[in-house]
Amino acid sequence: MPSSISNLRALCAAIALLFVFANPAVAQLSFKPTAEAVQEDKLLNALKEGDKITGRITIPDAMASSLIQPAGRDWRDFHRSKLPIIGGVAIIGMLALLAIFLLVRGRIRIDHGFSGAKLLRFASFERFTHWLTASCFIVLALSGLNISFGRILILPLFGANAFATMSAYGKYAHDYLAFPFMLGLIIMFLIWIKDNIPGKLDLDWIKQGGGLLSKGQHPPAHRFNAGQKGIFWIVIIGGALMSVSGWFMLFPYIPANVTELQFWTVIHAVIAMLFIAAMLAHIYIGSVGMEGAFDAMGTGEVDLNWAKEHHSLWVEEEQAKGRAPSGSAARPVAAE
Amino acid sequence: MKSFLAALAFAAIAAFCVSSVLDTIQQTSSVAYTTSGARVGDPGNNLIGPN
Repeated sequence: MPSSISNLRALCAAIALLFVFANPAVAQLSFKPTAEAVQEDKLLNALKEGDKITGRITIPDAMASSLIQPAGRDWRDFHRSKLPIIGGVAIIGMLALLAIFLLVRGRIRIDHGFSGAKLLRFASFERFTHWLTASCFIVLALSGLNISFGRILILPLFGANAFATMSAYGKYAHDYLAFPFMLGLIIMFLIWIKDNIPGKLDLDWIKQGGGLLSKGQHPPAHRFNAGQKGIFWIVIIGGALMSVSGWFMLFPYIPANVTELQFWTVIHAVIAMLFIAAMLAHIYIGSVGMEGAFDAMGTGEVDLNWAKEHHSLWVEEEQAKGRAPSGSAARPVAAE
Repeated sequence: MKSFLAALAFAAIAAFCVSSVLDTIQQTSSVAYTTSGARVGDPGNNLIGPN
């Protein structure tokens, strides 16, 4: 009996040995279970999108219970590789386009020159609202770009200490100037929505390229032309998205989980790049790009000839109300 | 120019007021995210400190 058991053991060992030689992978699993049982890559790859490994915590911070969240790798990859491309194409691309436009088209002049007659385009409260939003936006944009790209672009120039100090104050400015920026957006929406409803006239303006592409061509427009209406809605919709996403980042305990918070940071970053690019175009056409345009937000008064060329229907409405000087494009005055 | 300067001043004042209000109504992370058993008396200025 003992010899038959011994023979049986020998037979099993021989079969096991044959199995091992025939299939080394199984042999490895069979003989080293602890080495193969836990491999982080396999574990992470096994998790589907949105899955995460959570633990049990006692501190009152529900998000801290997320121990491993594979989606975070995609989020990190977005910030390191995709966002610089989006930002570079949007911002540097817009600057390049504007430079080319300036070289090809040149500054858009007032065809009939300055008349010397003025009419009020923006009241002081409107200008206050514009500059409130604009000044906050500039600080938000610069400090936001520093958050996204400062480590790559500015840190090597300034050094670690100066960069850290600047970034810390930049973050304070970014956090707190967001509130007057949001206030400015709300006021802008309320005071200018009535003049920014798209209409059939805007289609004609767009078909003619707003008269920007050829000299002497000025499609009629009311107080705001289609281009300005576009900027208005970019500011309102883009600003609203920035505000909502920024709100979740200001108060990161509001989103339900880390994945949701990361989603809003991506929205914030992408909209920011597009928003900055659009505002560069707005700043260009309101200053260097068009003669007489800056006065609208500078002193609030624009030249009658400028208004007639770019907002002919608005001038007629103002003249009918007795709020604009009547007359033709006579008495041209040399540009300053 | 007056509108521009007024807007800058308003933005700075509004930002300061918001920071003061948020500092008043919010708890620091060293308090909000710890229980009383694990709370340190003087968290200092490290990552969980008041700043």
